[in-house]
Amino acid sequence: MQRTDHSFSYLYDNYSGALLGVISAIVSDHEIARDVLQEVFVNIWRKIGSYDPVKGRLFTWMMNVARNAAIDKIRSKGYQDSLKNQSIPDNADSAVISRSATLPQVTDTGLKKVLTKLKEEHRVLIDMSYYQGYTHDEIAKILDIPLGTVKTRIRSALTQLRTMIK
Amino acid sequence: MNVQDYISSGIVESYVLGLASPEEQAEFESMCSQYPEVLTARTNFEIAMEHQAMQNPVPPPPALKQHIKDLILPAEARVIPINSPESATNVNWLKYAAAACAVLLAGSLYWNISQYNRNKKLQVSYDEVARDYDSMAVRLTGVEDEIAMMTLNPNIKMAAMKGLAPAPASLATVYWDSTSKDVYLLVNNLPAPPSEKQYQLWALLDGKPIDVGMIDNDFFVDQKKLLLRMKNVGGAQAFAITLEDKGGSPTPKGPMYTLGNL
Repeated sequence: MQRTDHSFSYLYDNYSGALLGVISAIVSDHEIARDVLQEVFVNIWRKIGSYDPVKGRLFTWMMNVARNAAIDKIRSKGYQDSLKNQSIPDNADSAVISRSATLPQVTDTGLKKVLTKLKEEHRVLIDMSYYQGYTHDEIAKILDIPLGTVKTRIRSALTQLRTMIK
Repeated sequence: MNVQDYISSGIVESYVLGLASPEEQAEFESMCSQYPEVLTARTNFEIAMEHQAMQNPVPPPPALKQHIKDLILPAEARVIPINSPESATNVNWLKYAAAACAVLLAGSLYWNISQYNRNKKLQVSYDEVARDYDSMAVRLTGVEDEIAMMTLNPNIKMAAMKGLAPAPASLATVYWDSTSKDVYLLVNNLPAPPSEKQYQLWALLDGKPIDVGMIDNDFFVDQKKLLLRMKNVGGAQAFAITLEDKGGSPTPKGPMYTLGNL
């Protein structure tokens, strides 16, 4: 039990801040973001047997658990209802339905800030797929562009991203 | 398929960011196991994303840690002191050490050669792109991360292997996942082998040694702790490392360097 305690502290102390950062880029409300962080650690604990180190680093796996939990939260009925009561930010792109009301802005840090350097058509797709969890089909319908275009543009955006975050 | 084109296609980022479809994931995992360049590209992007996230943290309120810990770990942890009879397995260790030594010294017993799996998994060094088809083990980065996860995983059983006569200061640990049957080897301390020799890991089950893979000599270049994913084994009572001729042996012939029971 001492070892388990030590290992939990190791993971939490090293990664909770980074994970909350990932969550906060998707969930704008601080309190809800913290709830999600709690869910994430419970999920990590629960799904521990499914983590395969050969497939990737631990942080990658945890980051994806965090992103999935955050997206599930913003897709949830309760969250969507609460959004309707908020006023829409001035710079919202009216053609894009935002689940999260957290469109990338210059004041963002980290990855989201990097995104602002992308061309609009690329930025929107990364935002919708990565930060809001829309599938390619959903994006194609919402933006009224061909499915193939969605996929190639996302891929193009991602290759640009790699050079930008080195 | 042109590997460089594949690497530049955005699939690496897609996979790491969790945006790849199940088919794309399966293909990517296959490519990673076949081509070290793909694996290196994945690791590099993973590290870049990790740095990005680590440099832009949102610190949680201090009270949250204990709150989460209470949810995950039992509230009243029963602390087992290291030297108590419950935690130490000295008696069992001696019993298996004796059995293993007797069995390995015998030499005249017939072993099941098919246990020596000729499956050639590609060895990957994250520091180099060199390809070596003869080795079996996959080296893992983020050693402390993996150890923490394995410690927390209730399916994982540990075998602490102590050093034997050839190098008494040797220390290595095997983590065996009783559900997935995965085997991980943590090398804390093993002397670098001569170039014509190579360490081989064995699982001992019912007195019989089962090959669990080789350790590549290149891994001894830096002095860091080494964590390797070895071959799977269905069951084991103990684990041992012997020093064999380069390329390994179907049955243990060389001196045993470490031994420990599960």
